[in-house]
Amino acid sequence: MLVKGDCIPNYRKNHGPLLSRLILVILAVAALSGCGSGSGGRSDKSGRINLVYWAAPNPQEIQLATQLVAKWNATHPDIHVEMQPLPVNRSTEEVLMAAIAAKTTPDVCSNIWPGSVPEYARAGAIVKLNSFPDFDSLASSRVGMSYMEQFESADSNYYQIPWKANPLMMIYNKKVFRQAGITKPPLTYSEFLADAAKLTYSSKGNGVIDHWMGYRDIRPVWWQRFFDFFALYKAASHGQSFTKNGKVVADTQAVREVLTFFGQCFEHDYFPRTYFSYDPFLEGVVATEFVGPWTISYIRSNYGGKLDFGVAPIPVPDNHTGPVDTYGDHKCISIFSTTRYPLQSWEFVKYLLSESSDLELLKVASQLPVRKDLLSISEFASFFQKNPDMKTFAEEAPYAHEVDQTPDQKEIFDAISQEFEKCSVYNKIGPEKATKELVKNVKVLLDWDE
Amino acid sequence: MMRKSGKIGLALSTPYLLFALAFVVFPLLFSVYLIFHRWDGMSAPVWIGLKNLRRLVSDSLFYQSLLNTLQFLVIHIPLQIFFALIFAVGLNSIKIFRGFFRAVYFMPVVVSGVVVTIVWLQLYSFDYGIINNLLTQFGLPRVPWLVSTDLAMPSIAIMATWKNVGLYTVMFLAGLQGVPEEYYEAATIDGATSFQKFVKITVPLLAPTMTLVVILSTINGFSLFVEPFVMTGGGPLNATLSSVLYIYNQAFSFGHLGYASALGFVFALIILAAVLIQRKFLETE
Repeated sequence: MLVKGDCIPNYRKNHGPLLSRLILVILAVAALSGCGSGSGGRSDKSGRINLVYWAAPNPQEIQLATQLVAKWNATHPDIHVEMQPLPVNRSTEEVLMAAIAAKTTPDVCSNIWPGSVPEYARAGAIVKLNSFPDFDSLASSRVGMSYMEQFESADSNYYQIPWKANPLMMIYNKKVFRQAGITKPPLTYSEFLADAAKLTYSSKGNGVIDHWMGYRDIRPVWWQRFFDFFALYKAASHGQSFTKNGKVVADTQAVREVLTFFGQCFEHDYFPRTYFSYDPFLEGVVATEFVGPWTISYIRSNYGGKLDFGVAPIPVPDNHTGPVDTYGDHKCISIFSTTRYPLQSWEFVKYLLSESSDLELLKVASQLPVRKDLLSISEFASFFQKNPDMKTFAEEAPYAHEVDQTPDQKEIFDAISQEFEKCSVYNKIGPEKATKELVKNVKVLLDWDE
Repeated sequence: MMRKSGKIGLALSTPYLLFALAFVVFPLLFSVYLIFHRWDGMSAPVWIGLKNLRRLVSDSLFYQSLLNTLQFLVIHIPLQIFFALIFAVGLNSIKIFRGFFRAVYFMPVVVSGVVVTIVWLQLYSFDYGIINNLLTQFGLPRVPWLVSTDLAMPSIAIMATWKNVGLYTVMFLAGLQGVPEEYYEAATIDGATSFQKFVKITVPLLAPTMTLVVILSTINGFSLFVEPFVMTGGGPLNATLSSVLYIYNQAFSFGHLGYASALGFVFALIILAAVLIQRKFLETE
């Protein structure tokens, strides 16, 4: 029987520990959720090493990564790899930045944009791949050291190894070209603009243009400039870097030419000043588009037989000679410093870079492995024989360039975007002034970084 | 007994205290710390003194983003109050399907901002948008809703008004319940017209709600982000670059978390000042 006052000692007895337990549980949950040291790299009770591998989140690459990882796990019982698609966000870089800050990076990631590597390296977030004894032999046999130079960091180390390239080329609608009486794709700016005058029109005859020569996303989003300004700059400048060793080394003549070319495209309405929520090329609304080989597999799976298209190099200035350089849209593989098993991670990286894995990359994802023997390996040759469009991209691969290995690439491309918008899209300033402003603004960014 | 209730109170408030410590107090203190540091979110923060604040003072893009946000507020707030008040009075007088109509007006508020923005992109598109298609069918010229520096921000303000007006309509509806019916009856006996009753009775008695609506819509307006982020990316020519979008770009696109903290802190002070001025002005009225 309870008497008055009993409840207090009872409460103390029963609820005191309850309160402590409650606080303890909350703290433990908070600690467990916040104190992870990387999402990968653990060994289980049986001694098996578990690695985490992040692959690009598009369906083709998830399929590819799933297949490759299944094969690896079947032949490596001691090193188990778990594939996770990169968490979806506006860009991989934002995901990786957050993961590095939270120390939740995987062991291996194959969707590294080379432009972000200087910052990851500065933060000590990725492993020096050239610290592995067989790195040089692998890099030189697979890619060649002269090609590797564009992936070398300012401290003369390699924190990334190129895995695949998506050289940017021009895809064109053959049917639309034929209907306009054009027999071959344009190669120079003049040819492009002349064809544009024929292929930009109003189908309803009411003067409202509803078919265009091309289309570019005009929003000032920094990475959009890879697929217009930067690719055409690389072509016009024969692959000249934009910045090097903290200095602006851009070919200003090429910058002016590219800005002028796009300025004419927008001024004459050959490119609409709009934003499409669908792909206007695939819908037959625009006649050309600058794309990488990923588009080929997409067209085949979604528009197979319905779209008669061809592939040609991106346009160049009229006086251009020699091969047409372009933007490579490379994706590299890196190992993150949070890994507990760098050697095992490196073994897995070597597997991803093997000839058999590269063939899967070609077949499943329609993307080109970065290899100097891409066109000479017999298994690859049979693939290219069946896929002549992909061969065109493969032939362009040796001329595919990457962004410079200096920090602040995103802000540099934002500066490019600002001038591109002012000069080419809205014609508010001339190419001369835009080029000078661009060089000045990039210098400010490089100085700020010192 | 005090001790008992104190312990229960502590136990019950612990989750909130932990939440507040983790997601309010710590980020606030950390952002103050970052104002004086350069930090890319990955490597260790580097002390740079007042460099971020000096950069902010001479950052023309930040000033432009403030002016853009101000332009948005100047268009958005009066539009919102006007339509919310009209809709509230209208809905208050409806006798049939009252709940249905109230739900319809409130619906855009609960729809995701990104979804609404994407739908409005289809309406506003210069070359293939539904509005411009209609205009051209009537022989009128197309309007560069989102690709003109003069029209882009007003277009976004109109869309934001459409999205949010339901919320403020509900607030005004709640305010209208507090207006005694006798006032209207007395005014009717005195021969007042509907407009006179609206101006002389409804509007003055809704003053407290009006203050709340102005302050809330100002704070919401200052946080303009999703619309320019999805629709324009801040363009054309930075005409729709809102302050929050600029801070986001600095922090998460360019990795300047220290500078973004400085921008965010100054921006928060500006919002505080604006709200204090509004309160003083409106409450005096």
